[in-house]
Amino acid sequence: MEAASIPAGPPASQRIKQLIGTYGLTAVLLIMPVWFAITDLSDDGNLVRLGENLVAGLSNGAIWALVAIGYTLVYGIVELINFAHGEIFMIGSFISASLIGTLGLTVDSSFLPVFFGLVVALVVAMVGAGTLNVLIERVAYRPLRSAPKLAPLITAVGMSFILQNVGLLWKGGNQQGVPDLLDAQHTLVTIFGVTIENADVLSVAVTIPLLIVMTTFINRSRLGKAMRATAQDPEAARLMGINVDTTISMTFLIGGMLAGAAGLIYAVYQTTIWFFQGFTGGLIAFTAAVMGGIGNLRGAVLGGLIIGFIQQMSDNRIGSQWTPAIVFAYLVLIMVFKPSGLLGEQTRDAG
Amino acid sequence: MRSKYMAATGCLVAALAMGVAACGDEDEPTTGGGGGTEEPAAEGKNLTIYSSLPLQGASRVQTEALVNGAKLALEQAGGKAGNHTIKYESLDDSTAQAGSWTPEAESANALKAAQDEATAVYLGAFNSGASKVSIPILSEAGVPQISPANTYVGLTTNDPGSEPGEPDKYYPTGDRTYTRIVPKDTIQAAALVTLMKQDGCTKVAMTNDKEVYGAGLARVIELSAKEQGLELTSNDAIDKNASNYRSLAQKAKAAGADCFVYSGITANNAVQQFKDFAAALGADAGLYGPDGVAETGFVSEKDGGIPAALNKQVKVTVATLSPDQYPPEGQEFFTQFTEKYGVDNPDPYAIYGYEAMKLAIDAIERSGTGEKADIKKALFETKDRASVLGTYSIDENGDTTLTDYGAYGVENGELKFDQTIKAQAQG
Repeated sequence: MEAASIPAGPPASQRIKQLIGTYGLTAVLLIMPVWFAITDLSDDGNLVRLGENLVAGLSNGAIWALVAIGYTLVYGIVELINFAHGEIFMIGSFISASLIGTLGLTVDSSFLPVFFGLVVALVVAMVGAGTLNVLIERVAYRPLRSAPKLAPLITAVGMSFILQNVGLLWKGGNQQGVPDLLDAQHTLVTIFGVTIENADVLSVAVTIPLLIVMTTFINRSRLGKAMRATAQDPEAARLMGINVDTTISMTFLIGGMLAGAAGLIYAVYQTTIWFFQGFTGGLIAFTAAVMGGIGNLRGAVLGGLIIGFIQQMSDNRIGSQWTPAIVFAYLVLIMVFKPSGLLGEQTRDAG
Repeated sequence: MRSKYMAATGCLVAALAMGVAACGDEDEPTTGGGGGTEEPAAEGKNLTIYSSLPLQGASRVQTEALVNGAKLALEQAGGKAGNHTIKYESLDDSTAQAGSWTPEAESANALKAAQDEATAVYLGAFNSGASKVSIPILSEAGVPQISPANTYVGLTTNDPGSEPGEPDKYYPTGDRTYTRIVPKDTIQAAALVTLMKQDGCTKVAMTNDKEVYGAGLARVIELSAKEQGLELTSNDAIDKNASNYRSLAQKAKAAGADCFVYSGITANNAVQQFKDFAAALGADAGLYGPDGVAETGFVSEKDGGIPAALNKQVKVTVATLSPDQYPPEGQEFFTQFTEKYGVDNPDPYAIYGYEAMKLAIDAIERSGTGEKADIKKALFETKDRASVLGTYSIDENGDTTLTDYGAYGVENGELKFDQTIKAQAQG
């Protein structure tokens, strides 16, 4: 009886796991950059190579972050992994590339037509991808809202394949070139020996403002608050007068619009698009969302950037054939010690 | 009601029958027609020649040229090989989804040919990886095979560049049935290295696509570069699904590479690699590729290929020469092909499709009986054959004795013959 009244702390193994979860993971994440910094300093006497890896990682990771937010938004609110989201991103790229062709933009076009053309392409891609995502929600997910969770999950996989085949029919099975409108790999500026290319600036310049607008919108706006309320407890939100259906549709719209924006950046950044990019890109972005803590916007961005850095360092130092294995090894490690992800929050399911 | 069901069933059966008939792409030149098997007519047998090529994806233009070349050869022979009547059936070993050959499609094609009693010869595959799948199936069934495009060393020999156990593991019965009419990669690697040295490359960064062909050729390029004294800074196996290769290209730049060579096929993200390496190594860097990228899908910007700005930097090797480098028969072929198909600049592979079919017809005719075993024997006994490609023999391994490789540049999104490289495998 007495023993039962003694407040028992968590077992030692649990405490060690928590410690690792808190500090160990940070150390693990820093192993690669720190190790490469040391080798660069000893081999080259400077950190230029590492700096270039980080810049490339930042610009690549920013694209994954945009896509990852779509996964995390939807999961946060309806607890559905929208497997079709990667394909929405692909459709965003296809819309952008088609519009660039329709507007007659080429590598020889002057600055103003390219600038306004890209703005138009960005708006159209965002609206197109957002609308498509809303339609998918309306047709394939909403009717299954009260069905067992496996049903919408499988429907999402089905939508993913349908959109993949739409892409296949639209642009064919091969990679398609997109005019290099911004001279993507042209060195814009060199800082301490680290080159920053046009594509890096484009990626960061579009992604960061979009992320700021998005987080401000969700934190401050009425609809954002409705989204958060719905995420916490849909029934309570409904009782408080929130139109849950509209809120969910808006979430899909915003997620789709971000994927559309990512699609345009990807097309202009890589200058190559293909129907399968949604599958591979979607997988990476989904990994980023899980790594950062699915349901958490900042976590999705953090996950995207971490994956971007790992990919670039691995490609450059270890070998690109190992990159997917290294990225997923990091994911496994993070999940084992912090199952909710780096900035993970408790979801309704998790309790 | 009952008659309604019967009618519906009848329609279904008819539709299924038509569907089955429509599954194969049975192409015209067939005088005899009739897919019957061992039905010896007074003047010979009805035999089938199958081809298995990726008719979709980046190689589509090349394989269409191969098929057209084969059709032209059969048409000129009047659909006959000696006394035997020949039917040609073109099979596809690719899928739209993959954009290139798939093991499933190639094995289904090989099984179809193996199970057809009327099969005389199997033309294919286009990709070495695909032949790795089809050779054991066809070898077991004793079906003679002629590849118009494979170059991987290990399919026929255990020369350097092959993997342990090759080539014997592809011939489970020990019976060699596979031949090819393009020189193997030992020659191509030597040609590529010779070309790069000629162009002044001092340090070369290399990537390979990890496929049988790409990884195999990369191994032989490494050996050849060592023998010819050309420094390779790297040989990176790439992830074909990667969104870009900028970090890899930066690594090459940091290593001081002044040229880049890719060992693989177009479908494995070749264009993105060339873009990224060109951006990192600069406008003066030479960019090289093997016959795996010698196709429209790679060289033509409007077909998803490299940007026009890279045209002047890119060179590829392929075992096809300029029409004027061929014997009179070869030059005559190009004239006939142009007339028949209305193309001004026939794809380099057209002549290989033509010659593969010609060799098949010749072997069937020389076999006399039209039996697979006799056709195979005749195929391996091919000696000093005067052909559109020049005079060649098939050696005991099934390899051609031809060795010339053509170096092509790119001009206005098309391959343009540059020079003949008479490279010999060393060591």
